[in-house]
Amino acid sequence: MALFVQHGHGKSDKIDAALESTSVEGVIFGARNEKIENIESCVKSVRERGGKVLFDPQFHVSTLVPANDRFLPDYPYYKVGRTAADFVGIKKLAGYVKSTLDFQLNLAPDRLLSPTVIFDSFESNWCQTALNLADASLDYHAGLAGAPPLLLSFVIGEQALSSRTELDAFLDQVTSWDSLAGTYVILSREESSYSQRFDPAHLAKALYLTYVLGNINGFEVINGFSDFCGLLHRCVGGTAFATGWSQGLRQFHRRSFKKQKAGGQPARYRYTSAPLLSSILLSELQQIYENGKLDAVLSGVPLDALITEATSPEESDWNGRWSELHHWESLHRLENVVGHDVSESINAMEEKIVAARELYVGLAEEGVVFGQRTQPEEHLDQWSEAISSFREMASL
Amino acid sequence: MSDFDICRFPLRVEHTWCFSDFHLPDFGALYSNQMALPTITEQNIKDLLPSVTGAIPSGRGGQKIVFRIELEGQAFALKFALLSDAFQPDIADIDETVLRARRETQIMQECKSPHIVKVGPVDLGTAAIDGQNVLYFSEEFIDGQALSDAIRESGPLTVPSVVKLGQQMCSAIDELWSLGKIHRDIKPSNIMQRSHETNFVLLDAGLAFDVAGESISAGFLVGTMAYFSPEQFDYTNRRVMDFRSDMFSLGVTLYEAATGQHPFLSPTTSTPHLYTKITKHNPPSPSSINPLIPGSLDKVILRMMGKSPHLRYRRISQLQEALALI
Repeated sequence: MALFVQHGHGKSDKIDAALESTSVEGVIFGARNEKIENIESCVKSVRERGGKVLFDPQFHVSTLVPANDRFLPDYPYYKVGRTAADFVGIKKLAGYVKSTLDFQLNLAPDRLLSPTVIFDSFESNWCQTALNLADASLDYHAGLAGAPPLLLSFVIGEQALSSRTELDAFLDQVTSWDSLAGTYVILSREESSYSQRFDPAHLAKALYLTYVLGNINGFEVINGFSDFCGLLHRCVGGTAFATGWSQGLRQFHRRSFKKQKAGGQPARYRYTSAPLLSSILLSELQQIYENGKLDAVLSGVPLDALITEATSPEESDWNGRWSELHHWESLHRLENVVGHDVSESINAMEEKIVAARELYVGLAEEGVVFGQRTQPEEHLDQWSEAISSFREMASL
Repeated sequence: MSDFDICRFPLRVEHTWCFSDFHLPDFGALYSNQMALPTITEQNIKDLLPSVTGAIPSGRGGQKIVFRIELEGQAFALKFALLSDAFQPDIADIDETVLRARRETQIMQECKSPHIVKVGPVDLGTAAIDGQNVLYFSEEFIDGQALSDAIRESGPLTVPSVVKLGQQMCSAIDELWSLGKIHRDIKPSNIMQRSHETNFVLLDAGLAFDVAGESISAGFLVGTMAYFSPEQFDYTNRRVMDFRSDMFSLGVTLYEAATGQHPFLSPTTSTPHLYTKITKHNPPSPSSINPLIPGSLDKVILRMMGKSPHLRYRRISQLQEALALI
């Protein structure tokens, strides 16, 4: 089991419920959404339930302007509006590293996460800053006797994955650090909203990154905010993946950390279908039910009972809360795709993709109409293409 | 099969090179300045180093000659290399050839591994012979055969010998890296196999690159192209080169030792094609050439020859462990 809850706003008792359902291994807390005075008790609560704990310092938000940083300004290592000039000089970097890691040491998490900055190109100065922070973190960590293992954080803009050459150079650098235990990698997505779509060329390189770090070099790799794609990362060598409860917290979008106008529509309830490898609207599930195909799309997890024991999906007690817990349960169930080696795992994943595509086609033939945001076939085709490109890159 | 020995080209023309322009023959190219060494006789050596006896030539290239000598009853190798016309004894400290030789002797002094050749009792010096300036220094005399000759004469090594070669060269690479250095010219002709035991010794540390210091060959690529790692072709990338570059060259060497064939080079390979093969093509598995090679050794050798450093072993100890499992 290698699924983590990615903590965000509106926590209520969601984490407790997820841990009780045993579908998740632990929690990655985010500083932005937790008051500093509460964080210790949050960590303690997870520990009492046997969950693992990581604390994402979200240091990277400090370079976003205007930042939607909520509770972050209360944390000692954070300062809003840092510019490139704030990262010039070894002493400054060492100071950021010390304050960020020292804060985490007090929480005694299972892994320490290094401070980092977001970058959109592996050749950019920001990438160099991220590497410098990583290097400084390794140095500082080396002097911490008995500290938890350190994972180097990287928040990579999806656009950076356009260049294979630059990615290779980045990987050469990261894999040259002898004392490195692992990485915590977040991809900043370009899709405007929650979606399983992923530019195949970008996804292939993202998978290659995980493959090189996790499978080839044996590092621990946690793919934060990776949601469904986290399964693909697990297949190629990722150690664990994470996703949040609501759609806005399942993937990383930079705009979530920038101030925006309030508004938007209330979320519509969704159902995560493992066979369809996607999250569909409850209204779409209702159509499937009416066409007599409900069993074909059920995830096969305990919370399905809420649907199957009701008169119909729309007549069930399904709500946001169940939807969130069910999402974790479904991803956890899908993790059985991970086999003994990369080839076996991605073969199994491809079989699931083929089956999902056939299921979508069959449902469409039955008259089921999926909404624009579900875009059933597009993401499956993209994933297939990405896997194919990845195979070529990895010579598998 | 001929070695594509030491090649150098200026950074400024790196996209317009003509490979044949810098394809220099023979091992002496390390000290190349396109002039021939003077004839060095036993008497020359006697005049220069009166305590030396029994000097016998044991190897010669265009720019370098090696003698087997005896000092107080013990055998050593005495190397002579030609210095350039521009060499001036009063500013020897900045002469590139002298600096290379000094580096080689320093490395030999620092390394304790039994698989790196040891420095001898004759310190680095310069002399004029027949009006030409030469430098000389001594090192351990290894009674044995170059691996390149062994492969040429007897064909592929046995699997246990390939594994032993790999493990012993790992020890040499590891020691160099612990000193912050990479060898940059690992190849069969730079590895000696001792006569009376199956131990291998790495020679010619003169190209070793100190990753923390300034290069003594700024503006040039150095090494032997057929054994270059892909990243060795990229001058601009040189600062991030590490021991994994030597690991690639060792992979090529093990491939050759295991199969009797170079993975990228054949008699018909043009030099531009060689570059493309090293940087882009995956060679056939060693076992497809020599069926006696087990799959586990196939895997290790091919991984050592990963096109990017991040595809190889990230620690020498991991490679050693993988070799131990064969």
